[in-house]
Amino acid sequence: MPVVDVDPEELRQLTGHDEKSGEELKDDLFALGLEYEGETEDGEFQLEFAPDRLDRLSVEGVARSLRYQYGDDRGVYVPKTNDAEWTIEVDESVPEERPYVTGAVVRGVDLDADELDSLIQLQEKLHATMGRKRAKGAIGVHDLAMLKGHSGDGAGEKSISYRGVEPDGDTFVPLDDDEERTPAEVLREHDTGEQYAPLVEGLERYPAIYDDIGLFSFPPVINGKRTEVEEGSRDLFIEMTGTDQWTIDKMCAIVCYALDARGGRIEEVTVEYPDRELTRPDLSTTSKTVSHERIETTLGIDIAGEDVVDLLERAGLDADTSDEGDSDDDAVELEDVPTQRLESRSEPDVTEPATADPSGELVYEVEIPPYRVDVLHPMDIVDDVGRAYGFNDLEPKYPDVSTVGGRHDTSRLEDAARDALVGLGFEDLLNFHMTNEAELFERMSLSPDDEALGARDPATITEPYSEDYTVVRTWALPSLLMVLENNTHRAYPQDLSEIGLVAGVDLEEPTNVAEGRSVAGVVARTDASYEDAKARLQAIARAFDAELETPPTEHPSFISGRTAEVVLDGESVGVIGEVHPAVLVEHDLEVPVAGFEFDLDGLR
Amino acid sequence: MRLPETQVALLEAASATETKTVAQLAEELGEDATAVTRAAFELEDTGLLAVDEHVAEDVHLTDEGETYREDGLPELRLYEAAIDAGADDDPVPMGELIGAAGLEGPEVDIALSNFARKGLGRIDSGEVIVDTTEGPDVDPDADPETEALEAIAAGNAGYTDPGILDRLETRGLIERTETTVRSVTLTDEGVTAMMEGVEVAETVSAVTPELLTSGEWEEVEFTEYNVEADAETVHGGKEHILRQTANRVKNVLVGMGFQEMEGPHADAEFWINDCLFMPQDHPARTHWDQFGLDVPPMEGLPEDLLEAVESAHRDGVGEDGEGYHSPWTTDVARQVDLRGHTTSLSMRYLSGEQVGNLEPPQRYFSVEKVYRNDTLDPTHLLEFFQIEGWVMAEDLSVRDLMGTFTEFYEQFGITDIEFKPHYNPYTEPSFELFGKHPETGELIEIGNSGIFREEVLSPLGVDCDVMAWGLALERLLMLMYGFEDIRDVHGTLCDLELLRNVEVVH
Repeated sequence: MPVVDVDPEELRQLTGHDEKSGEELKDDLFALGLEYEGETEDGEFQLEFAPDRLDRLSVEGVARSLRYQYGDDRGVYVPKTNDAEWTIEVDESVPEERPYVTGAVVRGVDLDADELDSLIQLQEKLHATMGRKRAKGAIGVHDLAMLKGHSGDGAGEKSISYRGVEPDGDTFVPLDDDEERTPAEVLREHDTGEQYAPLVEGLERYPAIYDDIGLFSFPPVINGKRTEVEEGSRDLFIEMTGTDQWTIDKMCAIVCYALDARGGRIEEVTVEYPDRELTRPDLSTTSKTVSHERIETTLGIDIAGEDVVDLLERAGLDADTSDEGDSDDDAVELEDVPTQRLESRSEPDVTEPATADPSGELVYEVEIPPYRVDVLHPMDIVDDVGRAYGFNDLEPKYPDVSTVGGRHDTSRLEDAARDALVGLGFEDLLNFHMTNEAELFERMSLSPDDEALGARDPATITEPYSEDYTVVRTWALPSLLMVLENNTHRAYPQDLSEIGLVAGVDLEEPTNVAEGRSVAGVVARTDASYEDAKARLQAIARAFDAELETPPTEHPSFISGRTAEVVLDGESVGVIGEVHPAVLVEHDLEVPVAGFEFDLDGLR
Repeated sequence: MRLPETQVALLEAASATETKTVAQLAEELGEDATAVTRAAFELEDTGLLAVDEHVAEDVHLTDEGETYREDGLPELRLYEAAIDAGADDDPVPMGELIGAAGLEGPEVDIALSNFARKGLGRIDSGEVIVDTTEGPDVDPDADPETEALEAIAAGNAGYTDPGILDRLETRGLIERTETTVRSVTLTDEGVTAMMEGVEVAETVSAVTPELLTSGEWEEVEFTEYNVEADAETVHGGKEHILRQTANRVKNVLVGMGFQEMEGPHADAEFWINDCLFMPQDHPARTHWDQFGLDVPPMEGLPEDLLEAVESAHRDGVGEDGEGYHSPWTTDVARQVDLRGHTTSLSMRYLSGEQVGNLEPPQRYFSVEKVYRNDTLDPTHLLEFFQIEGWVMAEDLSVRDLMGTFTEFYEQFGITDIEFKPHYNPYTEPSFELFGKHPETGELIEIGNSGIFREEVLSPLGVDCDVMAWGLALERLLMLMYGFEDIRDVHGTLCDLELLRNVEVVH
């Protein structure tokens, strides 16, 4: 879950609540779902939160949420924007793997140290979350004063261009560097370049942004040093590139809201694609229709309509209501609201007409600000109402529906078999299903190609956690041998058993993995013999009214001549025998071990 | 009167007029002293015998003491050698005398220090002088320590001067131990009983088939055991502590009307993630969090469901629903993984794939293994048990959810549950559940819950509400029983001793 560092002093300033003590702030933040995890060296709160409200990835966003919570702000706020002066021209040469770009100009920010830190943090946190480690969206913030735009033929007077560049087709000085390098050299020689190289690896042309002077940004890897933002930077140019227009537009909206809170003036930018033109940032609101009944049934309360509107406003939303029939046109208009706003830019329209369901049921037309990336469905609005109401104020009640409980057949069978084993004196074990081939095969003197229990193609983990856990076990006896190996200092006899998952690759199965439950037992003591294992196996077979036969067989893990198939009701389901001395010595055991393993289904 | 054999023999050997020690009587009767002592106390209980106890000192020679008793004390041997060499006239060099007295090693120092102490002579500039005219006390032939050694060897230590005994003990020549000496006399009642006649009751050590069938058991007394002594350690078989905990949970849930689910551990990401409305580029869907298996993709996914789920991801559900702005391919959906949660089972059941279409109301649960690519540490394992449960009904509210979980956790002593609003891709509203630790009172996370989103339920064909929750069984175990390192119980590194001795779940 994301963690954001927030200076409590800045939080007091931005919320206008100087009187709040640290403890009070922590409580207020917890109520928002921001959990206090500790403090940085500089005394900043480290707040952990669930990754839905990404607009809270900066102190500005957290302060905004607190102001709504305190009731200082109500309803939707959309920053004013000035008309575009700058254009981003998108060239045909842009790599098709990263086709989208968006941007904004923010003037008059006069970044001080705190503001700069906060901006950098927001940028990093957005990269880590929505930006999917810059793969889906990458942010570049530049000092506008350092950009030189020629007069283009687009809507703006000045322009920069987003295009593709050959890996060694140009040079620039990247951040944290003093030398001119080509993009390819940056990937090889610069720390940040090496880190993000996988994102552009294999591309014919790399993404690049140019102004009149030349290459100044190599997204998603690194910006150029020339346009670096520093303390005191007055005006900013923000560009974002990515694989999805909606994602970078939303990231851009979140950054614009944060800078607006610091007194910046947002100025639009024209994005000129070869086939279309967008005005950005997209700060348009969206709307959802939520029925009063859904709110009441979900929260389990009776609530007045005006109270719902009040709660919505306290959540930073706006709502219009109607419980009277309205013209059908409005309902149609509602359906026309596009869910995907790639091209159409609707003006921040706050006067959506009151709406009613054709049935005359009370519904709310809820307006949602652009920084809310988490609202996908009316239920997300219901959740906002619940949070503003206070979920912990709701009285729990046991649901008034009657059902009949019961256990699954397999689970009951497994339990009965386990009871039988425990009754025979076995210590019931619980081992990991994941293990490695050495434990399953080599250390058991077995080869996966043998015709024997446990010898089969194991389901292999593609990117294992460690060498110890690379496959799902094909049989259970190796796990028991490992437990014996790790407990040679404990008192004997050690009679151990386990019932658990075994699996192997099987292309006949729907999942291509055959899964089964194995019943395995070992008897380890100074005089353990085949007969000890057989006696116990007989007792289990009797308990389940299964007819047991043990015709002789061979298994590499057992002593030849002291090994038998386990045949239950005519079906061969496992193996029983005295464990081979080679296997015992391999497991550092100094006592004989007799054991068996068979498929639990044999007891059905 | 019928009494056990030993008691009868003891009564016969004891006297009303002469006090006899237990040791004497044991020797007389040819019985073990412990058996006689026990019989004496039993007879005292019945009033037939009086038992008197006093503490006696027992004195033994040590090996060194025994050697000196035979060879003579070193200082006396030095004295004799000195007399033989004429030291009573002229000083004799010490070296000469040591050889003549046969003193070796530490005996030399012992001889010299005690020689002077007992006033047997003087040692001056390495020469020994014996002045026979000095002091009448010095009589090497009547040395009290030598006499004491002889007396102790003869068992007559009792008459020796305590000061001499202390001295010998300091010299390490004797050992003194205290023992309780018990002596018995016949009481008046005992005499009367003897006059009336006492017979031996037969005692036997074991109940035998013969004894039972012959009816002889009516005539016999059973040898008594020391019922307080520890018996041999026996390790009965025991169900694994985590299985016991799982069964406890299952019992609670069955009692609350829940049916158990079963299903594959290795499953398509479709069931594990896509049905749960987890976007395919969600950070938790990388190999850092889940275990992919190197097997061919799963082909047999229901086509219409596949389409419905893809549509939910791309465009959302409902009139003004929105989808994710994330890539979605069936290739990813068909990839087979070890399940990261048992919610894959819930999806299979809710879709009708597992047991056919379900009509509300329903309650289902599972307590099964899940696999996460997490860091192994005392509280995290790569595989652990997840408790998963859901309730399907018309119009479920958050209050129903709270009521169900409050009820469930109360069964485990966890009360005062707090519901912290939370975010999951698959539920809305969602809550993290916090409860007070039954012992420490600390507020701890005990589960995650919520009402399934329409984007989850609608593709599955469910048009009523479903609320669900999950938590790690291991977490409940650690809470209930205070385990600190989960690796001690789960996995091949487990300690058998711990499993054998752990308290059972009850």
